[in-house]
Amino acid sequence: MDEATLVERAQDVVERAKRAGAQEVFAVAGRSRSVELQRRDGATERLKEATSRSVSVQLWVDGRYSSQSTTDLRPEALDRFLADAVALTRALQPDPARLITDPALFPKSVVPLEVEDPALVAGLDAAARERWVEVMETEARRNDRVISCTSNLTFRSATGACATSNGLLGQSASTDIWPSVEVTLRDEGDKRAADGDGYGARFLGDLPDAATIGKNALAYTVARLGSAKVSTRKTTMVVDRQAAGSLVSRLLSTANGASIQQGRSFVADKLGKAIASSKLSILDDPFLPRGLGSRAFDGEGIAARALPIVDKGVLTNLYVDTYYGRKGKLAVTTGSASNRVVALGSKDRAAWIAAVGEGILVTSFMGGNSDANSGDFSFGIRGHLISKGQIGAPIGEMNVTGNLLSLFAGLSGVGNDAWRASTILTPTLVFDNVQFAGV
Amino acid sequence: MPSRRHLIQAAAAGIGVVTMPGWLAGCARPSAAVDLAAPLPTNPFATWFGVDEPLLARLLTELGKNGATFADVYLQHTRSVSISLEDGIISSASASIDQGAGLRTVMGDQQGYAFTEELTIEAMLGAAGTAASIARGTAALPRQPFVVNEASKALYPLATSWGDVGIDARLPILTALERHTKALDPSITKVTVNWGDSEERVLIATLDGRMHVDVRPMTRLWCVVTATKNGQTVSNSANLAGRRGIDWYTDENLKALAKDAVDRTLVLFDAKRPPAGEMPVVLAAGASGILLHEAIGHGLEADFNRTGTSIYSDLVGKPIASDFVTIVDSGVEANTRGAIAFDDEGNPTESTVLVEKGILRSYLHDQISAKHYGVKPTGSGRRQSFRFQPLPRMRATFMENGPHSREEIIASVKNGIIAETFTNGVVQIGAGDFTFYIKNGWLVEGGKITAPIKDVNIIGNGPDALKKITMAAGDSKLDAGGWTCGKDGQGVPVSQGLPTVLVSSMTVGGVNG
Repeated sequence: MDEATLVERAQDVVERAKRAGAQEVFAVAGRSRSVELQRRDGATERLKEATSRSVSVQLWVDGRYSSQSTTDLRPEALDRFLADAVALTRALQPDPARLITDPALFPKSVVPLEVEDPALVAGLDAAARERWVEVMETEARRNDRVISCTSNLTFRSATGACATSNGLLGQSASTDIWPSVEVTLRDEGDKRAADGDGYGARFLGDLPDAATIGKNALAYTVARLGSAKVSTRKTTMVVDRQAAGSLVSRLLSTANGASIQQGRSFVADKLGKAIASSKLSILDDPFLPRGLGSRAFDGEGIAARALPIVDKGVLTNLYVDTYYGRKGKLAVTTGSASNRVVALGSKDRAAWIAAVGEGILVTSFMGGNSDANSGDFSFGIRGHLISKGQIGAPIGEMNVTGNLLSLFAGLSGVGNDAWRASTILTPTLVFDNVQFAGV
Repeated sequence: MPSRRHLIQAAAAGIGVVTMPGWLAGCARPSAAVDLAAPLPTNPFATWFGVDEPLLARLLTELGKNGATFADVYLQHTRSVSISLEDGIISSASASIDQGAGLRTVMGDQQGYAFTEELTIEAMLGAAGTAASIARGTAALPRQPFVVNEASKALYPLATSWGDVGIDARLPILTALERHTKALDPSITKVTVNWGDSEERVLIATLDGRMHVDVRPMTRLWCVVTATKNGQTVSNSANLAGRRGIDWYTDENLKALAKDAVDRTLVLFDAKRPPAGEMPVVLAAGASGILLHEAIGHGLEADFNRTGTSIYSDLVGKPIASDFVTIVDSGVEANTRGAIAFDDEGNPTESTVLVEKGILRSYLHDQISAKHYGVKPTGSGRRQSFRFQPLPRMRATFMENGPHSREEIIASVKNGIIAETFTNGVVQIGAGDFTFYIKNGWLVEGGKITAPIKDVNIIGNGPDALKKITMAAGDSKLDAGGWTCGKDGQGVPVSQGLPTVLVSSMTVGGVNG
């Protein structure tokens, strides 16, 4: 089914829903094709292919609101589904803040985003897929300690269309591809060292080559051998770019209309004030070429625009959707993040490690959580000691604990090495005086 | 990284996170009068999905056309309803219908998988052909006629199925819970109630001639509380979940849930972070079963052992804990989230003893690993939906009673903590390192509870932590919270339980000076 047909389907759902009694309707029709190939220890372990499609719809009926979705798209089933949906909506309570998106916020023109790779729309043929997973695995196995190695390649091509009762007609088409390798090595006793590497991109041509991913996966896992915890201490924390995005995500986790209106936000009174040291600037950039979060409009049809979220440490914008904007008397921006791009510093990870001298390098966070009201956090970590400006022994089974606002107030260094295989493009980050718990 | 296994409490407050299924009153359903046990071709499930025995046989023939050691067709139809009450208004609900077919060809350790949401013969045959491309041999033909098993109704019997409950019957429950909650303390500024219910119909037909049908209900009620006092705002939540019907939400249960949510919230006004470092950790009875889930449960899922990647790979038959430690993973705990009459490969579930009096006894098997090890499947092959291939998974994981008492356990701790409520956990399979996050707990000094604590992560190593279980009380219970276990991108409902237990040392992510 091509995009024109999806648009027609979305428009058809709007018409059917209006006939069923809805005053306003926001309909989305989507279709995606995905292929996954997984190889383990020399043989294909899993081949999975599917074409998936669905319809979702938001309804406004007599001042009441609901959202619905279905995968049963037969016309008679759709009509029954929409009749039930309208009946359910009528049973709820009216809420004056529930309004369909203001049409003034809809996009006025088509924006080219460069998020669909023709090579991935066509799909990789069987030989090309198999070459990817075989090369990754071969490189990752080049060590006597290998117990098991799994390589995976997943790619997807998705199209969508939306239509509303108040004038929006939108289309989207994108592709993405995700190669990854996991390696398990024999360590001391019953222990295994396990790690891996992976990457994701919109375009096949933006991926590192398969051999590099395999080599990295093995190197990262070898570096974990003999991991142990060290003593409880306060020290400098260098966070690898692949792990740093999760901290940025936590810092911004309550910088939105819902959290603030609901009284569960540690940045509720911080708009226009510092939430980090002046080293931190973050731009929400929906137009990033080939970005994994790039988009022309958001989930409620609001036209994309670049939004500075943090400028030299100061919180400059919040994520606010139509509902919480109206309910919480906040300016509507967008309810969801696109690409969050952290402004780069001047040094790469190795240079920061050399500059820091002593500390702990965190390569991944493991579990943990943070409190919405206080920003207090506690996470498990894996990484390495930093000693005399060099990466030292691997460490694990340790926690890092503190408060997100004070952690980011102590942000003393930002790398120049952004991780691009994410919707949060973060470089190496350096934090002063961080509490680690170990022995 | 992909090797991480997550356990989360399904997201609390907020928008659009809920995909809990449920039937709307009056929607197309087979008549309530149909006998689910009736043999084919009048099997109402087959009718429901628009398939019959010859079509299922044709799909299995297609799945086996290049050879197969096993193959299955998984048909699923799920209806779900979620509703939320916020700022005193029930102003948002969502309902969804999710139906489709998953088709799988297994050849030894290899799997071909395809799914379709279109339940037409052409779409399903096409998907079967795709799945069959994993194999390169001579055809394996399905055994016929099918032997039909209806899942035991005893595990999750409902007085009224969710399909017969109107939306208007659900709303007063949300309102009552909000009222009970607000009445408990004047400092409460916000109460959000999130509701979810679902009914899932599944039909599994296998190459070896078995057919299983089941109706799986689920419901969850979540209460989120925000309170403000002297300029300080705190929030927390509590929830009830299970394979239950609407009659479970009695006024008594609603009041208990309200009190639980409020108690967990108000105690945060005075709670502090404990010191950082290694210390004894007392795990309170119930939700602390998260320890078992992360420290040993995932490590005993047979796929990780078949590939040698688990730290437990070489430990079956060996002592791994004190002789009072017996750990069970059971699919037959009635009405719990982890209850499942047969698994998603059509194998009957059971209560599997993982550790018996300290000795490691069994892994959790799916069809593939059972064949690999030459043992009976344990009924642990589960999948999130028809979009996924099954994997060995936990169901309800718990530890049986031990010989000590809660009082003597606490009295034995000089400087340590009690962990009481949790939000999430994770394990790294190979190294065995696991973590879980404590939302509420207590500081213990000189054998006495001295102050509330909050927001600390615990990290330990699976086999090491099991060896350090030095005391266990006689108060084992399953937690009634809405736990969801994540693995390989698939979430499945689980339960967990524990008696009060002492782990003599784990690393607590606190704050010093």
